[in-house]
Amino acid sequence: MRYRSVIDMHFVNRMQAVGWQPIALAIAFAVVLAIGAILGAQGPEAVAGMHEGMRFNGAIFAILGPMIGYGFTSMGQYFPLALGLGVTRREFATGVSLVFLGNAVVYSVLITIGKIIEVATDGFGLHIRFFDVLYVGTGPAWQTLIQSFLVLLATMLLGAAITTVFLRFGQGFLWTAGAVLALLVVALLAGIVFLDGFGRALLDLLTMGWWSWMGVIAAIGLASAAVWLLLVRRTQVR
Amino acid sequence: MTAIETRNLTKRFGDVAAVEDVTLDLTENRVHGLLGRNGAGKTTLMKLLTAQLFPTAGQMRVLGEDPRENVPVLSQTCFIQESQKYPDGFRPRDVLSIASGLYPHWDEQLARDLVGEFRLPQKRAIKKLSRGQLSAVGIVIGLASRAPLTFFDEPYLGLDVVARRLFFDRLLADFAEHPRTVILSTHHIDEVANLLEHVVLLDEGRVVIDEEAETLQSAAIEVSGRAEEVREFAAHGDVMRIQEIGGLATATVHACEGRAEQAARAAGLQVAPVSLQEYIVHRTTHATSSS
Repeated sequence: MRYRSVIDMHFVNRMQAVGWQPIALAIAFAVVLAIGAILGAQGPEAVAGMHEGMRFNGAIFAILGPMIGYGFTSMGQYFPLALGLGVTRREFATGVSLVFLGNAVVYSVLITIGKIIEVATDGFGLHIRFFDVLYVGTGPAWQTLIQSFLVLLATMLLGAAITTVFLRFGQGFLWTAGAVLALLVVALLAGIVFLDGFGRALLDLLTMGWWSWMGVIAAIGLASAAVWLLLVRRTQVR
Repeated sequence: MTAIETRNLTKRFGDVAAVEDVTLDLTENRVHGLLGRNGAGKTTLMKLLTAQLFPTAGQMRVLGEDPRENVPVLSQTCFIQESQKYPDGFRPRDVLSIASGLYPHWDEQLARDLVGEFRLPQKRAIKKLSRGQLSAVGIVIGLASRAPLTFFDEPYLGLDVVARRLFFDRLLADFAEHPRTVILSTHHIDEVANLLEHVVLLDEGRVVIDEEAETLQSAAIEVSGRAEEVREFAAHGDVMRIQEIGGLATATVHACEGRAEQAARAAGLQVAPVSLQEYIVHRTTHATSSS
């Protein structure tokens, strides 16, 4: 049960544990409400356009910043302290996994409740979309629950994996990974510009079905978890 | 029983051998001094023994087992390091609260007493503590954990002389009541000389001395007199260092089980003991200059 101490560590800094996520969400929500109020005064046509356009509203991503930060601080700050206090790497990984799971469950439930209220009240009376958006699912509520859970969990695991890679291999690996990512983006852009049908195929790929997208998100989460769990066993505290 | 056992333990960082070919047997329930200059490999050795680092080569056993991912061993081991970083927003009370849940022999009353004695502000953010107060956090954990194996790596950096004395007194008193294995790394050798029962001296990652403290206390003598006579005496002895000022000279020589002292007195020279700290300095300097 020593992993309990790892969980306790994550709740010492209350703002980081439970503060920044709702604050970030609340600020983003307030901005979207304000936009709704302003455009609401422009007439029914503008409201209809806003309602459709907000399907792609990424304000919900405001929660991802604190979540990826959770992954960074878990490995960057709590890992050295935990090992210094005699916690094993396995105990640490168990505690952190439970923290990540707990966060993903709590916030995916909150997002789903928000979505149900938003749909029921026609965008909080302003026809806005904050929770009922593409990134957490515009389908039934159960889809939003699954999708937001996977996105949040994958984000935290990605943060932990990036920090672990940094601790294990230093800055060089991150620079290399960044360069490879940039090359990939350039290659995609070049493909769209110079190859006939490439853009169409890419669009087909990006507009694939919901289950396929869930598979992609789950794969990112699983790959991050695998990298993190594999490397944390060999990560040293210097 | 042996608390720590290493065989040819080696840790390399790239081309640098931080710890090289270290073979040690440290008996349990004693206070061992781990001494050496900055960069000698003391912290690296302690991090290896507490499984924070992995060895490049060699074997190690802590409390009879391999410490890596070993809950029974690591829950009995407390490592207080001067370079310990604490997460943002942590206060001493948070660290103590977490530590209390990790060490089975934790003494809450002792922790409270020590917090009072070291005047540690429990509710102040750790990043706002002075260097001495930060050291006090480690000392409180190290003593209150009552871990059967406790490592103190430069535990009193920044502490004033009163607080340092307090640490020695509390360590000695608690050690007498609850014997355990203590590995103490420090540069203030004279201050802990009476505390140490056994000494390991590291230099450039290698073991230079692995000896009883009592033996080391009488391992060398300082012989002084007229320069010519001291030089003549030194020519027949095992000299570590010789220093001349005007017509006078002082030589530090190995005691050779009392024979050097007898010979010096017979030659009409003055003889004085060499402190553990001076002896360690001579041995380290000697090792450096002869390498």
